[in-house]
Amino acid sequence: MRNFYDTLHNEGLISDESFEKLIADREKPLFSVHWELKTILYLGVLLLTGGLSLLIYENIDTIGHQFVLMLIAAICLGCFAYCFKIRLPFSTEKVKSSNTAFDYVLLLACTGFVIFVGYLQFEYKVFGLNYGLATLVPMLVLFFTAYFFDHLGILNLAIANLAAWMGVSVTPKQLLLNSDFDSETIIYTYLLLGVLLIIGALATQHYKYKKHFKFGYQHYGVHVTFIALLAGYFHYYSSLLCAPWMLLLFLFAFLIYRDAFKNKSFYFLLLVILYSYIGFSSIIVRLFSHNADSAAISFILMYFIGSGIGLIFLLINLNKKLKTV
Amino acid sequence: MISYNRTWLANLRLQAVLKVDLSKGRISDDEYKAIDAKYPVGFYTPGVFARIGLFIVTCIVVSFAFGLAAMVAGSGNIIDSPGFPIVLGIIVYSALEVMVYANKHYRSGVDDALLYASAGTFSGAVAMMFHYGYGQNNDAAIWGIIFLLALFLAVRFTDMLITALSGVSFFLFICFTWTRIIPSGAATVPFALMLVSAGAYWFTYANRSRYSNYENCFIVAQIVCLLVLYAAGNYYIIQTLGDELRGQINTPVPFGGFFWAWTIGLPFAYVGFGIKRKDTILLRTGLILIIAAALTFRNYYHILPLDVALAVLGAILLGIAWGVMKYLKTPKHGFTYAEPKDEHAMDRLKVESLLIAESFSTAPAAPTTTGTKFGGGDFGGGGSSSDF
Repeated sequence: MRNFYDTLHNEGLISDESFEKLIADREKPLFSVHWELKTILYLGVLLLTGGLSLLIYENIDTIGHQFVLMLIAAICLGCFAYCFKIRLPFSTEKVKSSNTAFDYVLLLACTGFVIFVGYLQFEYKVFGLNYGLATLVPMLVLFFTAYFFDHLGILNLAIANLAAWMGVSVTPKQLLLNSDFDSETIIYTYLLLGVLLIIGALATQHYKYKKHFKFGYQHYGVHVTFIALLAGYFHYYSSLLCAPWMLLLFLFAFLIYRDAFKNKSFYFLLLVILYSYIGFSSIIVRLFSHNADSAAISFILMYFIGSGIGLIFLLINLNKKLKTV
Repeated sequence: MISYNRTWLANLRLQAVLKVDLSKGRISDDEYKAIDAKYPVGFYTPGVFARIGLFIVTCIVVSFAFGLAAMVAGSGNIIDSPGFPIVLGIIVYSALEVMVYANKHYRSGVDDALLYASAGTFSGAVAMMFHYGYGQNNDAAIWGIIFLLALFLAVRFTDMLITALSGVSFFLFICFTWTRIIPSGAATVPFALMLVSAGAYWFTYANRSRYSNYENCFIVAQIVCLLVLYAAGNYYIIQTLGDELRGQINTPVPFGGFFWAWTIGLPFAYVGFGIKRKDTILLRTGLILIIAAALTFRNYYHILPLDVALAVLGAILLGIAWGVMKYLKTPKHGFTYAEPKDEHAMDRLKVESLLIAESFSTAPAAPTTTGTKFGGGDFGGGGSSSDF
């Protein structure tokens, strides 16, 4: 390690002053157990809470619901109070968290609150059969908390809650696993949700209000909108109505493409390209699957090989272009 | 042997170290730029999302190309012979060499995908060659050849996953060869594996910083060796495999005491040596294996009910963490608990926030109206997203 510093120094690429700093820092390398400790801490919290909640669950008949509710409320209030006390002053820009524990305590407070509301609703039917209200309240609290304490993770929780409120669940895993894409209402709800999120992302950027939250909105917005548009296309596959869905898809792709370029985000560029590739390929497959003989199948296979290679060069070029913009 | 440009690899390492120095303010911007110009890196290595995208697209191309080839070959009987995957493998491997040699790809997603595809096709061909019918394989030959193949690819492309493959196939080769050649092989194979993996660990540990281009490969090799060394003496694994060989259930293991001591003691030995030698690999592997030891123990002896056991264990872990933090308030004996480098804190936050949403949000459960106990609520995970 030392050798190349010496070489660089001798070649005159590192000044005497910097060289001394480098050597001084290399003298005493400390062995950090930071990640090990954090993992143990995390595991400890997970096991302790898991064990305790299992204990309560097993003995709910003797403990009683009021006690459990009070316990959850106490944890939740305590955590909120702690965060409120040590928080840094509010700003419309990014606010650093006060210490390492802050983010986790706030997260505990929020999950505690969501569980509390859910418990109340389940056991005592506080909101009656008005499930909309039962999900609306936690959502508003989560959004408020996310902005007030500046916590990206809680913003994502709030977005997921917004989706729950609108009757769908938004995390990609569940979106793919247990969603029924074949119903018009759900497709339109997804589409509305996606558009709302995209508007949220654009507004966040335009009004310069917590600009770093844009990623959270846009990430979910882009996925949900693209999936809804594709679902709409396949839902109306056999009728003429499928054309506007595909047109909307390419229009949306174009808008996100421009935005991604403006913000130099290769992640969104990649999403645009992959989703529009799916759309485009489905048109090609459709054109050739009318007469499904082996020639058509070989042509489709060749299309995927050729277009795939083309896509590789496209991605490489876009990546280069993005860096030089 | 290595297919990437060695000078560039060395310069890449140099730049990685200097980037840290730059972010810590030890060298100036101009100095960094001057060094960057003098020691250039010509590889094509895009960012992480581009790498993922290129990986996906390359996989699409490769799989459709295989599909097309299979369609053409499907008319004859070629597709049943190992020659078919070998030809495909050679084509993919040539594409890989071209991408690396002519287009200077290095960890770009394209070379990763082509590397795994060629390793997969060649391994499939080997498995086809030594498969004589249902349940009749020459396993020793299969894993021996896969080991040589993976070793070659690992040496040529310094990939960590391929290194892991070569390590695992090496130990499988030893395992199958031993049980085939030695008459009482099944009873002695744990000891043979222990000796071989201990030797292999010693070898990789001793040479870990000798080949600077292969540092990551040697890390992976050490982990594989340590895991195999533990698995070779784990009571549960020994018993399950023994049962399978004898065709009986729950037969006691000969030398049970020895294997129990191994199961429980070795992880702590790893952690102890890890702390003593300040070796992250030993330390982390040991910590993970302590979980394995605890699970093995619980599989046979139920001392406490699950809920109490979890709560007590959690409290103990928190106590240990608190104690260590208290002890290391000021760094002692060269240990600290401060975060090592903080330049990627921003990226981490974003990934972390997605993980939180993934693990905490579930679809709203449909209301049910039965009983005092509520149905399967999963509010056990009161922590936050996992730290990697």
